[in-house]
Amino acid sequence: MSEAQIVVKQLTKTYRVPVREAGLRASMRSLVRRAYEDVAAVQAIAFSIEAGEMVGFIGPNGAGKTTTLKMLAGLLHPTAGEARVAGFTPWERRPEFLRTISMVLGNKSQMLWDIPPLDTFRVLGEIYGLSPIDFRSTLDELVELLEMRSLLNKPVRNLSLGERMKCELVAGLLHRPAVVFLDEPTLGLDVSMQSRLRRFVLDYNRRHGATVMLTSHYMADVLALCPRVILIHHGRLLYDGELSKLAERLAPFKLVRIGLSNDRAGQELDLPIGVEVLQRADDRVELRVNRGEAPAIMARLLNTLPITDLAVEDPPIEAVIDQIYQGGGV
Amino acid sequence: MNWRGGWALVKRSWSSWLQYRSFFFVLAFGWMIPPLIYLFVWSTAAQSGTVGGMTPAEFVAYYLVLILVNQLTYAQTNWTVGDVIRAGDLNAWLLRPLPPLFHTLSAEIAGKVVMMAFVIPAALILALVLRPTLNATPLQVVLFVPALMLAWLLRFFWGYWLACLAFWATRADALLAVQDALVFLLSGVVAPIGLLPPFMQVAARVLPFYYMVGFPVEVLTGHLNIADLLSGFVIQAAWTIIAIFLYCRLWRAGLLRYAAVGG
Repeated sequence: MSEAQIVVKQLTKTYRVPVREAGLRASMRSLVRRAYEDVAAVQAIAFSIEAGEMVGFIGPNGAGKTTTLKMLAGLLHPTAGEARVAGFTPWERRPEFLRTISMVLGNKSQMLWDIPPLDTFRVLGEIYGLSPIDFRSTLDELVELLEMRSLLNKPVRNLSLGERMKCELVAGLLHRPAVVFLDEPTLGLDVSMQSRLRRFVLDYNRRHGATVMLTSHYMADVLALCPRVILIHHGRLLYDGELSKLAERLAPFKLVRIGLSNDRAGQELDLPIGVEVLQRADDRVELRVNRGEAPAIMARLLNTLPITDLAVEDPPIEAVIDQIYQGGGV
Repeated sequence: MNWRGGWALVKRSWSSWLQYRSFFFVLAFGWMIPPLIYLFVWSTAAQSGTVGGMTPAEFVAYYLVLILVNQLTYAQTNWTVGDVIRAGDLNAWLLRPLPPLFHTLSAEIAGKVVMMAFVIPAALILALVLRPTLNATPLQVVLFVPALMLAWLLRFFWGYWLACLAFWATRADALLAVQDALVFLLSGVVAPIGLLPPFMQVAARVLPFYYMVGFPVEVLTGHLNIADLLSGFVIQAAWTIIAIFLYCRLWRAGLLRYAAVGG
């Protein structure tokens, strides 16, 4: 059996950071003797990703997402564990490996400020040794997909944030990488620009079968792009699987919205056990019920209350994620 | 080695830096000022004959050549490498299949070409006004070329290993200030090193700074005998090898540290 595109085993990264108490005396002391503290950024995580998969890599700030991506892109040495990306050990940073991958950082630009994007793209074409024909056709395709032909000859300093992000994506994909790491590609962009970039990433993945690992704090990105998510928190892997199942597993309840006929509005409700009222405004009530008991409770509600309207929903993914981030556990 | 990518990078750095040519012209002008001051000081001092065996016109020749050599060999690596390390922009270099040395070299070439566009005309005008005497023999002209190239190599890699300190210390400014002072004193800018007090002359001949600027200047304009030339080239080459060695060690160790702590 062939190896998966990305294989991660017991990958661990511990940072050693100097610690110092506040105040002058402490700072004098730290001149002589520095105290260090080990911070575990990533702790023995393991997963594997097949070629062509699109995986959302999520977790709160400081969870270890970027550290993991940097290890997979070869920028960081792990403290322990192993990783294989496209058959290479990333941190050896062999030229063939670097030609296979790409990393696009939403918060760090690689475009030169003073010259038009086209010049930067040409240099990248040369660095990757693309033939003029390949360069032209790839560039045309990307430019077409991103609708950015008019930007090619403007100095980067005159471009908006969204326009610059388009340039970053072109710069990251010109050499047709088989593995793409996207770290917050939609950071700070407006809603329509976000959705356009999302469509682009999806399109690119379908056309070229590229493996994509994406981190984002916008659940809409993940919902639109990634059938599978990997969730880490405090450097530990909490969940690896379908996004829809995440809600099922992590949020063992459903939301029930009911509308009551006017005469009962405002009165005390006789509710079955296990039902929690989240919100109530006159004739509208929002309830939280246990996922397993939902059908039985619903039947009871319909029998006992003058219900005019009823809707059962999964809690919004943001709420589920927020619960995990806050609580730290599954 | 990815020469194709490297050359493309040079062209790009050049077109990018050309946007700033007025900035570079001002910078180059600033770098010309100290040698110009000492040009006037020494040629005035020698007005009534010679100082240290040099006539006023020979001082003019010495300093005009020194201005060119100084600008050609000036180490820009604190900005082109040090700042990149400090700002965390090194990631972008490391993600591409091109040795980071190319980025530095391209900035070096681009910067020097842009500055020469200012410095050469300026030196020519000064030469027309100040009338230097330059009696270089063909041998001196021939030897000047390797001396200048070694001086550039030495200063480039010397600056490069200093810039690598940015991997450990966020600011190495104090050290750079010391180094600049040593270059100023011992490289032949303040005075041709033959005019320095004896103990400083010894220091100048042993330390690398004279071989970054003053030595090639004297190869072309001075009266170095065969023994001076020979020992000069040997020491210059030795320091160049040491500088390259230090660069290799510090760059590798720095990258390991970078990979350990992140950018």
